[in-house]
Amino acid sequence: MNSFVERYSATSAVGQLRKAQRLTEEEEEFSDAAWGSQAGFGNIMNGPPSFTVPNVRDPAAFLRLHTDDHADPNCRIKIQHGTTTLAFRFQGGVIVAVDSRATAGSYIASGTVKKVIEINPYLLGTMAGGAADCQYWETYLGMHCRLHELRNRERISVSAASKYLSNLVYSYKGMGLSMGTMICGWDKTGPAVFYVDSDGTRLKGDLFSVGSGSTLAYGVLDQGYRWDLTDEEAQELGRRSIYAAGHRDAFSGNTCNLYHIKQDGWTFIGNYDIAKMHYDGPGDVPGAPGGGYGYDVRLAAANSTEVAAA
Amino acid sequence: MDHFPTNWGRPRNDAFDAYGTYPIHQRPQNGPKDAFVDGVQRTQQPIVTGTSVLAIKFKDGIMMAADTLASYGSLARFKDVQRLFPVGDNTVIGAGGDMSDFQHIQTLLDGLTIDEFTAQDGHTLGPAEIHEYLAQVMYARRSKMNPLWNALLVGGVKDGKKFLAFVDLLGTTYSASTLATGYGAHIAQPLLRKAVEGYENVLTEEQALKIIETNMKYQVAIITEEGVRISESKTLDTHWSFAEGIRGYGAQAQ
Amino acid sequence: MPAMVSAAQPVQRSFNPYTENGGTILAIAGADFSVIAGDTRQSEGYSIQTRYAPKVFRLTDKAVLAVNGFAADGNMFVKKVRQRLEWYRHAHAKDMPIRAIARLIQTMLYARRFFPFYVYNILGGIEEDGTGAVYSFDLLIYFKNQTPAPGTAFPKHLPLSTVLPLVIDSFTSATERHIEVGDGLEIYIVLSKGSTALQSLQTIRGIQELTATNDGERVFVIRRELKKD
Repeated sequence: MNSFVERYSATSAVGQLRKAQRLTEEEEEFSDAAWGSQAGFGNIMNGPPSFTVPNVRDPAAFLRLHTDDHADPNCRIKIQHGTTTLAFRFQGGVIVAVDSRATAGSYIASGTVKKVIEINPYLLGTMAGGAADCQYWETYLGMHCRLHELRNRERISVSAASKYLSNLVYSYKGMGLSMGTMICGWDKTGPAVFYVDSDGTRLKGDLFSVGSGSTLAYGVLDQGYRWDLTDEEAQELGRRSIYAAGHRDAFSGNTCNLYHIKQDGWTFIGNYDIAKMHYDGPGDVPGAPGGGYGYDVRLAAANSTEVAAA
Repeated sequence: MDHFPTNWGRPRNDAFDAYGTYPIHQRPQNGPKDAFVDGVQRTQQPIVTGTSVLAIKFKDGIMMAADTLASYGSLARFKDVQRLFPVGDNTVIGAGGDMSDFQHIQTLLDGLTIDEFTAQDGHTLGPAEIHEYLAQVMYARRSKMNPLWNALLVGGVKDGKKFLAFVDLLGTTYSASTLATGYGAHIAQPLLRKAVEGYENVLTEEQALKIIETNMKYQVAIITEEGVRISESKTLDTHWSFAEGIRGYGAQAQ
Repeated sequence: MPAMVSAAQPVQRSFNPYTENGGTILAIAGADFSVIAGDTRQSEGYSIQTRYAPKVFRLTDKAVLAVNGFAADGNMFVKKVRQRLEWYRHAHAKDMPIRAIARLIQTMLYARRFFPFYVYNILGGIEEDGTGAVYSFDLLIYFKNQTPAPGTAFPKHLPLSTVLPLVIDSFTSATERHIEVGDGLEIYIVLSKGSTALQSLQTIRGIQELTATNDGERVFVIRRELKKD
């Protein structure tokens, strides 16, 4: 009752002040940065954007309860995932190759996903794990890379960019972010590939593959990899590895997107249908052997035995 | 990185040991350290509850009806509870669900109408505004994981426009020419729809009352351009003689 | 999977802030138009809550948003998007282009990374270059519709006269076999400046124009009944 009386005797200065306070509190959610075209990223100067967290004892457990289709297939929220991605360094730059399938449970949610995120003309990121996490944080990373250029009058190194990302996701450790990504680019030190994941791991290396099809891709990659590959050979190796994973891993497939990073930035080499690569090959592209990767090879063996028998 | 794709995109469970490396490291509880936090009570389940409210549109306005029973679990605890509540001159709300939360909503609405009255700006709140207000309150509370455990019907007439809409503890809203909460939504709604859909502008008050009464009820509110009328509690004639013939009901020798 | 040992603690399950309100939405992009459609039934479990609750909303003359999932989250989300578009109009004296709306929606969804809006969105409309566009979002992010790779013809753009019967047939057959779909159908059509598809719209029964500006893009809506059982 006291609060009731207090509320309606509010012509006093105290009442006015309280009302003003209440209004500014409500405004907090929509800062000036939300105004106009800055679309929420505008608060970049104040550190990472803030997130709404459910008002429960353990937010991660809440999220797990509602998004966990592994333990509970009837849970409402299913998040898209499923992948093979790879990137490797060689004398001619960096090759980045990915598949394009997104799965939600056992359902193929999309076959045309862009899993290479074009951070800027010199940096590429790959997408494995939660598609949203990768897309959002690598876009955010792109903004910081641009700020770095403006502040320091030179491009950010791949090492610094990847470290920025890994520090960022590490600060959310335990909250359920899920990303396994390769940050690839060309800087003063030459071609560079860094692996960053949501556990906070950051590794420098020549050759990485991430995702459910990674083991299959590694198999092809390792047997064909040399530092002194030609550009054509390297591109073919990337394509062939993604084909291998897309062919044998149920969570990967549809098409392969291939990028090549050289000193003057990345170029998109092409999009290749994985089923088509099996029967007909990638088409008339540099480095391709001609003919399908799978079908003809097996048939040829069968045919030759037939010929021999005849 | 967990390479198993069905584990992706979802919170990492540190208490779950995918590689069987038991005994595992147990993290300390990361919840709030405030000793009083356990003492804070939120409505996590309703205690004293009402159920059905029915409402239909008719020629001159809205008719809404609710029984007057408030139960405590399966016990019929309070037998004459008002679950229809007038707000201003044009609106009635009817509530199912937790009665204490409904009383809180009544307090909120009282405050709202007083605020509106003291403004003296020539505007009054109509049913559409009340419904929007309640929808925002209910949605805000569910987003704080502290819901008001009710299903509410808002009905009224203002400026020649009939308005009838629903809002519940999750903030879900919808409107239709017949609405019902609780068991009424399952039992009465199909009958109401059959009687009312397409006749919203034809049904007279008498016809509407008859429809409502055939669907049970104790207390009726009628909202027209002239204002709100809420009846005294009425007793309904019920006919259970047919039940004698049902196997397993009443005194029967197998 | 290797043998698993679980030491998870019990989780409090008493209040579930989500529900599922059913329905279907779809969108198809053409060369110079976009079609966005949704049924109007809102349900929970086996109960039909209402036969008319719109799921498709005109945002601007160039963009239409369809929402599906938990209705309260959906309505709130549309309200918030519209608020941001209004602010944009005040700041820039023009409507936000659709690719910017797509990004805006992405950041708005991701801001709820740890308490997601249970809403699946499809955004359809016209890009600044006059081509039809469809963006689809999962709970947190977006994917743009695929456009044909240079020098190829797939996926091919269908003409509006093929798309409209296709949409209506899709919903009629979904209504036939899915209990959550039915009652009514709303089809929004967004045409780019000087689209030739305009002629084929003239003859359609009950078509209604919703265009609000003179920018050249035009928005129409067609409403059809679906089975109510």
